[in-house]
Amino acid sequence: MNLHDFLKALEATPLAAAVRGATPGWDWLFPIVETVHVIALALVFSSIVMLDLRLVGMASRESSVSRLSRELLPITWTAFVVAAISGTILFISKATGYFGDIRFKMKFVLMFLAGVNMLVFHRGAYKHVEEWDVALPPPAAVRFAGAASLLLWTSIVFLGRYIGFYA
Amino acid sequence: MELFRHFAQWIGTTAFNEWLGENAWVIPISQSLHIVCLAVVFGSAIVISLHLLGIVRPGRSTSQTVTTLVPWMYRALFVLLVTGVVQTIAEPVRQLVTPEFIWKLVLVVGVLAMTIVFARSVRRNPAAWDSPASRPAAAKAYAVTSLLLWTTIVVLGRLIGYTWAFYA
Repeated sequence: MNLHDFLKALEATPLAAAVRGATPGWDWLFPIVETVHVIALALVFSSIVMLDLRLVGMASRESSVSRLSRELLPITWTAFVVAAISGTILFISKATGYFGDIRFKMKFVLMFLAGVNMLVFHRGAYKHVEEWDVALPPPAAVRFAGAASLLLWTSIVFLGRYIGFYA
Repeated sequence: MELFRHFAQWIGTTAFNEWLGENAWVIPISQSLHIVCLAVVFGSAIVISLHLLGIVRPGRSTSQTVTTLVPWMYRALFVLLVTGVVQTIAEPVRQLVTPEFIWKLVLVVGVLAMTIVFARSVRRNPAAWDSPASRPAAAKAYAVTSLLLWTTIVVLGRLIGYTWAFYA
């Protein structure tokens, strides 16, 4: 079974058909799953932005980075799980169409880069956070990680909206 | 409702509506900015509510949270207004004749008024808001109401895209 067959098989599942609106009486499923996705992505994006703005030293300057991330990251990860599940359900409804779309591919490349940026930050500068927890401005590497994350996640939200618009 | 329909039809004859029709790239950008800003408003509202309800492990005091986030909510709401107006001028009938759109506006005005009153009260007496014991009794009511209202507003906003065809 190659990738295309697999995507076709996903589209053929009853859940995919229902989300696609191909099952009578289930027309409301796509808008509902999509609304859940919007609410979840709003929380993922905004909680990341709050932390990023602190990392670049632009906002929340009175809070230490470690305390602020302890407050925000549980929100980010909870919402991320919901966004990933709802996103997968939306994806399987038109798997071959989305997979062939350039914006969809770009979105996942940028999410991968955002993940790499986060990993590098956690394995690097964040390992000795106590040295710069309240320093203003934060070290250059920290500001870079924050700025890169802001740029990547904003682009990811834009690409997501474009997928809904054109794909 | 007939008045709204006439108003929408008149917007459809304006030069800006025509320009937006010819420059189809403007609306996806406007909608993307609209999502980015709704995320800022919605996320800020949720974080403030979670603080007031004591659900998060707070990284800063409630008054600091409110004085940091509320100005960002106002800035984002301004961009939401501008992009929302652009989207309404581009597709006036879709928005103005859809009850979800009208309800959304009413709820935005309501929750914004609540938030202004709340933020002023926090600014006037930050110490009282920082400890759960001295917090005004209305704190939890505000937290739950604003959470429900903002969620309803996001749901209604998304639904406009699906229900407008029934009313147009």
